[in-house]
Amino acid sequence: MSEDTSKLGIGTDEWVAQHEKRLQRRAGLPGVIDLLNQRVSNRVRYSVLALVAIFFGLFVHNLYLLRIASNLGVFLMMTLGINIVMGFAGLLDLGFVAFYGFGAYAYALTSSSQLNQHWPTYLSVPAIVIVTAFLGYLVSLPSRRLFGDYLAIVTLFFGQIFIQLVLSSDSITFPGHTDSTDITGGSNGIPGLDPFRLFGRAFKSTTDYYWLLVVVLTLLLIAIVRIDRTRVGRAWRTIREDTLASQSMGIKVNNLKTLAFVVGAAIAGLAGAIFAGIQDAVFINGFDIPLLTLIYAAVILGGSGSIPGSIIGAFVMSVLPEILRVQNYSEFLFLAVLLVTIAVIGKNLKKFAINIGALVVIGYPVKALFYLSHLTTTPTKVWAIAPVSKVLQYWLVLPANRIVWGNMAFIALIALVAYYSIAHEAIKPWLLPFIAYIAIFLWEDRLVADASTTRQLIIGAMLVVMMIVRPQGFLGKARVEVL
Amino acid sequence: MGYLGQQLVNGLTLGGIYALIALGYSLVYGVLQILNFAHGDVYMVGAFIGYFVEIALGGPSHSKVPVPVMIFIMFAVSMIGTGLLGIVIERFAYRPLRKSSRIAPLISALGVSILLQNAALLIFSANVRSYDTSSFIPSTAGFSLGSITIDSVRLAVLILAMLLMFALSKWVNKTQVGRAMRAIAVDRDAAVMMGIDIDRVIRWTFFVGAALAGAAGVMNGLLLRGVSNGMGFVPGLKGFTAAVIGGIGSIPGAMAGGLLLGVVESLTQGYLSTNFSDFYTFILLIAVMLLRPNGLFGKKAIVKA
Amino acid sequence: MLELKKVSMQFDALKSLTELDLTVNKGEIVSVIGPNGAGKTTLFNVVTGIYTPTSGEVLLNGKSIAGQDPADVNRLGIARTFQNVRLFLNMSVIENVMSATYARTKSNIFSSALGLPSSRREERAVREKAEELLNFFGSRLTGYRWDQPAYSLSYANRRRLEIARALATNPKVLLLDEPAAGMNPKETQEITDVIGRLRAEKELTILVIEHDMHVVEGISDRVIALDHGVKIAEGDFDSVATHPDVVDAYLGKGSADRK
Repeated sequence: MSEDTSKLGIGTDEWVAQHEKRLQRRAGLPGVIDLLNQRVSNRVRYSVLALVAIFFGLFVHNLYLLRIASNLGVFLMMTLGINIVMGFAGLLDLGFVAFYGFGAYAYALTSSSQLNQHWPTYLSVPAIVIVTAFLGYLVSLPSRRLFGDYLAIVTLFFGQIFIQLVLSSDSITFPGHTDSTDITGGSNGIPGLDPFRLFGRAFKSTTDYYWLLVVVLTLLLIAIVRIDRTRVGRAWRTIREDTLASQSMGIKVNNLKTLAFVVGAAIAGLAGAIFAGIQDAVFINGFDIPLLTLIYAAVILGGSGSIPGSIIGAFVMSVLPEILRVQNYSEFLFLAVLLVTIAVIGKNLKKFAINIGALVVIGYPVKALFYLSHLTTTPTKVWAIAPVSKVLQYWLVLPANRIVWGNMAFIALIALVAYYSIAHEAIKPWLLPFIAYIAIFLWEDRLVADASTTRQLIIGAMLVVMMIVRPQGFLGKARVEVL
Repeated sequence: MGYLGQQLVNGLTLGGIYALIALGYSLVYGVLQILNFAHGDVYMVGAFIGYFVEIALGGPSHSKVPVPVMIFIMFAVSMIGTGLLGIVIERFAYRPLRKSSRIAPLISALGVSILLQNAALLIFSANVRSYDTSSFIPSTAGFSLGSITIDSVRLAVLILAMLLMFALSKWVNKTQVGRAMRAIAVDRDAAVMMGIDIDRVIRWTFFVGAALAGAAGVMNGLLLRGVSNGMGFVPGLKGFTAAVIGGIGSIPGAMAGGLLLGVVESLTQGYLSTNFSDFYTFILLIAVMLLRPNGLFGKKAIVKA
Repeated sequence: MLELKKVSMQFDALKSLTELDLTVNKGEIVSVIGPNGAGKTTLFNVVTGIYTPTSGEVLLNGKSIAGQDPADVNRLGIARTFQNVRLFLNMSVIENVMSATYARTKSNIFSSALGLPSSRREERAVREKAEELLNFFGSRLTGYRWDQPAYSLSYANRRRLEIARALATNPKVLLLDEPAAGMNPKETQEITDVIGRLRAEKELTILVIEHDMHVVEGISDRVIALDHGVKIAEGDFDSVATHPDVVDAYLGKGSADRK
């Protein structure tokens, strides 16, 4: 900075003076990435994405992979929806998943034998979108005057009300009738839905839905990008920035908030209908808080307000659980993330090597301690299944009583990470290898076997850490907040 | 009349629990203007602590100490434990975000809530535990008031809740820390300039709020309800509902809101339907927020002028 | 053009404005002065609809606008800047100005999403208008600045941008809240020129709150002095500046006698 100030003339401001500095590349790998980043325009990026999607659909025939891709597509729709409501307009809608559920159930009710309605798809889907949008309008009405945190809670309540309604509507007695009707199937859901029927063709396989999603997402992304860059998108962003100033410039804040809700709801409704088509059934427990947190985690991870961020976030959050399910991949992934984290914290090769070295060195004394104190260990055959664990078996020791040791490791890990966050800079490097060791231990001991809990733990931790360390997410721009 | 009275008593007891949870929300909102989503899960941790203390002292049937002492220790340990948990949460999840946007602490709170629930799941597994209160307090013990029976557990819980609320209002109004807390709630910058140690007071606020939630958790366990890792979600929501109905940031409001909510829930369960009672609770919140956004006692504006 | 008749504004125990009468005629530049706490910004807030006056009338060209939504008041032709500069900090400089054309444009999400020709044309027109407004400030807010985030601007530039943004709403009346606050002498002179040009080139009626008497002297047709929510003097600059009540208000009671 001091070299720059000497060049400052009177009246030239800092920003301009730093112009040269900003043009310089960051050293090393980040610099190369930056360069590539700048050279490639958005249009190229999206085109590449489209091409990848098309090739995937043409050449991949593994049904499992296609199913994951389709789920990713639906999930991405939701992420984009939340990105509009929260990222553009700055509204925290915690009942968003209810619109999704509503879309799914609406499809189920119009395309199954539950109420004996079998509407043609070209009629049911648009109708669903419109009705869900209207629902979004209704939900936005009480929310108009509320501050951010209250909006969050009220929308959360709406979401819960929806779930309660669906759960309780399996035996409704209408006035004038003696017996009750089962509308929503309660906790059993509604199975056996009609497949989509468009252009004379019944969507019987996942591939059909995949292509549908490619088309829908392409159109949706084009629309959202365009809206973001023009009048309404700008107006939404002014609401997020400073509502009072926005109003004073003639922007009808309440109307725009409602619009954001409606658009978000419409997208969620469409996503829900497509999802119901893919799943061939609807169950209420897929539309609750866990899904909500997944979607929000995706948007925040990617960067709230950033469309590419939503895409990346959706990808990570949607594909991650699948990877965690398979022990081979999950171990690999974990180790990869751990090593990358150490590398990033270490900042250079020498520190990285030291950290890894320390990590290795810790493992053997622990193993020795175990044998010396005659604590029984899990036989290697049981736990060293995947390639990674086969390597680790010589270094890591896994006690027989996995649960108890795992719990202790968990608590120790949390304590150490918490201490790390407030520790003196000089102490931090000493802590890091220990934290890494316990993390590996915990992973092999408990987490690798329990994918869903692990995923939730990671999401929870990630939300807290993200807000503290990098609230704008990976691809978002650092924001200046005025309180 | 007997049935109504019974429902009212049940409602007040339930309301006492909700009030204690609501107080935690109001206290924290008053000083920091954030909604502590993780509060319901602190309640859950309190219930678990009480359970493990009970087991450690010999379990429901072979208690090593007299029953009242055991119950006292359960409450004491649970309240201290959750109080400390509250301090830890504040220190690591909220304090770094004091200068951030309004949404950041909310998301962080969401993260803490998820962490707590799943940590409990990991450590304690998904089994539902039970205090098995009827093992050490016969369910017939109690007394009658006309056609209303109040069993002793229920009575004890009700009295304890009232005592805690009374103690809290004394703390808020009479102690230096309590006064400092109110000062911060009114005007934080002025409080700093008056030499109040913000960090210390906020720590105390979280401790007290969390301890109350912990007590509520133990009470819930004693009333023969199950203890599991997800039990905090709905009571947390309801506690928040109560706090808002009473006027967020207002101590008497949280108490009144909690009691009101408990009674309403009990009555709707007794007279309308058990299925839909949560539904009515949530509708009640929406109605209050629309008609009287500041709540019954509230002074803090949640609505833009 | 703009009239306040016996406007009072009461907040709980504090009476911020008491029976204020104020008139601004078309094409005038009127300054409002007074010590801090005199109620000047409250006056602006009442005019723009942020507060609803407890009593009295606010008329724009004879039509009552008291208590209306700020967005509606703006659409009727009144724009303002803020005492502590409320820009859309994370948006770019030009986006700040473009966003303010919202009320005068009509592309909706459908026409934008579909990329209809009318939408594209409107978008180009909006951009041109914003560029033109930014060029009003000459080299201060020139081309390379347009895509910078607003938070990167210096303080004086932020004030200019706020004016440009207000102008984008096509106002007939412009309310400037301490436009010269925090500026050095050179910048203050520039602002004085700008305000004069605003009246001449944009045909605006301007109401200015200001503390810097050089600016007030340089721009005002008329000056109104407030103290504790009450009008204590009105007239041309010289008569108001030397008015005994005004001197008392600024320098303490009895100062006028000591001169």
